[in-house]
Amino acid sequence: MKRRDFLAATAAGALGAGLATAPAEAFERVGDRRMLVFSGGQPVPVLDPHVRYDWSTRMMQQSIYDALAKYEGNPAKVVPWLAERWETSADGLTWTFHLVANARFHNGDPVDAEAVRYSFERALKLNKGVAWMLKAYLEPAGIKAVDARTVQLTLSQPYGALLSFIPLWFIVNPRQVIAGAVGDDYGQKFLTDGDAGSGPFRIKRWDGQAVMVLDAVADYWKGWQMPAQQRPAGVIYRVIREPAPRKAALLRGEIDMVTEMTPDDYDQLAKAPGIVVTDDTGMTPFTIQMNTQKGPTADLNVRKALAYAFDYDALLQIENGAAKLLDSPFPNAMTGHVAIKDFPRRDLAKAREYLAKTPYAKGGLSLDYTYVAGLEVERRIGLALLESLQPLGIKINVVAQPWPTLVARGAKPETASDLVAVYVTPVSPDPDVLAAQYSSAAAGQFWAMHQLSDKTLDGMVAAARSEIDPAKRLAAYAAIQQRIVDLQPCIFGMLEDRKWAMHSYVKGFQYCPVRLTGEADLYAVYAA
Amino acid sequence: MTPLLRFLARRLALLVLMLLGLVVITFLVSNVAPSDPAALAAGPDATRDMVETVRHEYGLDQPLPQQFLRYVSDLAQLKLGRAIQTGDDVSDDLARYFPATAELVLLSTLFAVLVGVPLGMLAALRRNSWFDHAIRILAVSGVALPAFWAALLLQLLFSVILGWLPTSGQLSVATAPPPVVTGMVLFDALWAGDVPTFREALSYAVLPAFVLALPSIAAIVRVNRAEMIEVLGADYVTAARAHGVGTARVIGWLALKNAMLPTLAMIGLRLGWTLGSSFLVETVFDWPGIGLYAVSSALASDFKPVMGVTLCIGACFMLCNLVIDLAYGWLDPRTRSA
Repeated sequence: MKRRDFLAATAAGALGAGLATAPAEAFERVGDRRMLVFSGGQPVPVLDPHVRYDWSTRMMQQSIYDALAKYEGNPAKVVPWLAERWETSADGLTWTFHLVANARFHNGDPVDAEAVRYSFERALKLNKGVAWMLKAYLEPAGIKAVDARTVQLTLSQPYGALLSFIPLWFIVNPRQVIAGAVGDDYGQKFLTDGDAGSGPFRIKRWDGQAVMVLDAVADYWKGWQMPAQQRPAGVIYRVIREPAPRKAALLRGEIDMVTEMTPDDYDQLAKAPGIVVTDDTGMTPFTIQMNTQKGPTADLNVRKALAYAFDYDALLQIENGAAKLLDSPFPNAMTGHVAIKDFPRRDLAKAREYLAKTPYAKGGLSLDYTYVAGLEVERRIGLALLESLQPLGIKINVVAQPWPTLVARGAKPETASDLVAVYVTPVSPDPDVLAAQYSSAAAGQFWAMHQLSDKTLDGMVAAARSEIDPAKRLAAYAAIQQRIVDLQPCIFGMLEDRKWAMHSYVKGFQYCPVRLTGEADLYAVYAA
Repeated sequence: MTPLLRFLARRLALLVLMLLGLVVITFLVSNVAPSDPAALAAGPDATRDMVETVRHEYGLDQPLPQQFLRYVSDLAQLKLGRAIQTGDDVSDDLARYFPATAELVLLSTLFAVLVGVPLGMLAALRRNSWFDHAIRILAVSGVALPAFWAALLLQLLFSVILGWLPTSGQLSVATAPPPVVTGMVLFDALWAGDVPTFREALSYAVLPAFVLALPSIAAIVRVNRAEMIEVLGADYVTAARAHGVGTARVIGWLALKNAMLPTLAMIGLRLGWTLGSSFLVETVFDWPGIGLYAVSSALASDFKPVMGVTLCIGACFMLCNLVIDLAYGWLDPRTRSA
């Protein structure tokens, strides 16, 4: 055989060998147990539970770590986890948590009060990720390990929302973190992709940008919910950034469960044989924030006119019906949510009435609507807004911007867009999280690009925060919701349904609205 | 000093200057963009002092000229800084992600040569026939098709409809990667003598490598066709024919060899371009290379990795050109004096 022929033959052979390999098994197996494969578009660059969170990161943290309590069910409830019970003093300042006896970290160390103390202290001292939730109320000195199974938190002032954050503060093993520390980094480098947890899964292989393989802890201290034979060998989170290949991989059986698809993709997947699409009301308000400090929208009457002119039904059409219109600034699943009476809906007569009180009675107004480049739903909402406002003679420029630019411009009233489309997922179902987004301290954050500044509202939010009587608290938040609507800093849009698509053999999936967008509780799912 | 060494020294000095220029430009562009990397890294709910913690940790609270000087002095020690999203060293990240991109680029260049050279040759031999026209149409669409779109279509055809190839990634999630030697899964699998893993890795690499090769195939076909036509009409080829040299030998040995010179130059040039255009292909196929790394960093306004990747690609591009120039001088003595 001549050299040239040999090369050609080798190349052809190599190609043929490659093409003949087509792994299309419906699921991965380890021994006689299945590995479930979940896919979304967002990587997990930092696993450290005290440094970062977003939906994909939280999903992995919740799989590898435990907290004193956990969110479960719909509506979301705080259920005991590492702590079997807790009590609070009459003045609301001291919280005492009693730990379960049998919890073990993955390396066999017991989960004791010192581990809890260390974890809370670490989160506060790093001043990253979850720190903001408690730092204004809890000093490192206020955390005390009373005995091996009792932890006490002493707050500087009463904080009604405390318990709602406890499930988000994960417990790490101090011995492993200290052993893995480099210099004074508090083990941050180690925990970026390392495992110091006690959760239902341990890390087998970790590439936060592509594939994360977790093994189920067979003798997990909390036990497993599914029949023993059906407990999976583990779960895999595979990052597929584009929705089209993600859908293809699901249809091909390379993955078992996906999130972050477009409304049209979910509709198509629901019709595919053997695929189930879940559908639940979400907890992420979509609003069009209006700049309350600069430009025409600084005028309350202009804002009211826009809110009454917008065609809210267009939102439902764009979502193919899989959404629910907001009837308050708060999502329905939030504690203390009340439907506000006479909540703005499309009413052109009323819109004109408000507009007549402004210098723009005859229109002739041009406003920018800014949205995140690449988000098709937001683009179409911009077009719906454009159409809604034509009868008033108001022109809308639909502008796409990358997320970092949009956020940076929104930081100041001078550079913030007139109108900006934003989804904001509250991190807990406690109303303080959302009420605070409308206080003037928040102005310029991405969830407060409306720049709202209202002294009355600020006072109401501060008072509600330190109220610990449940009934008075609810009344305070009802008044806050009304006040926000009166000020109309946003066009209050909708709650998109949250959906996951999965093969019909995937069982045990439990929807819990407080989890972040695509986040699923992997502890509960199995194949049968 | 021999002329070659002098030439090499001058070119290397120039290369360092060009890299420095690249550093200045990328640094400026990164910092002109209106975004706050520290705020993005600190997370959506971070309070202002939490953002400042991150800003201070990464030295972003210093004045820009100072940041630039520090970056350049770090660079002189081959340190590329830390990614603000992960806290990892950018040089470590590059070392981890570059082999995957290199593997893809090498495989796609192999495709481009194996497909492009014979097609160009055939087109030249059957000049102005329907075959030649068909090749021309293919070549033009190879250049014109956006890689993103071609990738999605091929993915749909080969992965979903035909089910022959996996959709994306570098290996099946269940397969443990072979022991790292070069970091290129295909080579490492071969090195370890692990044929099943090699076959699997190949099945994952075929589609992205092919999509990445499309523009190169087109370019190589065009250049090779033109050169072949010119060479086939040259006097020495006519003379060889007149002396009774067989057709196969004339085409395969005399003509192809001479036509290969510009084609080689084109292959080398395309190597650099392919590296640069790996961004889109890696994103569609979730190929864990530097393109995907750069895209995910850019989306988070994480500039150190973006600059690291830019420098890495820039340096590769310049080195490719240097090697081509040297190869030219070696292959064609006439260019040496120039």
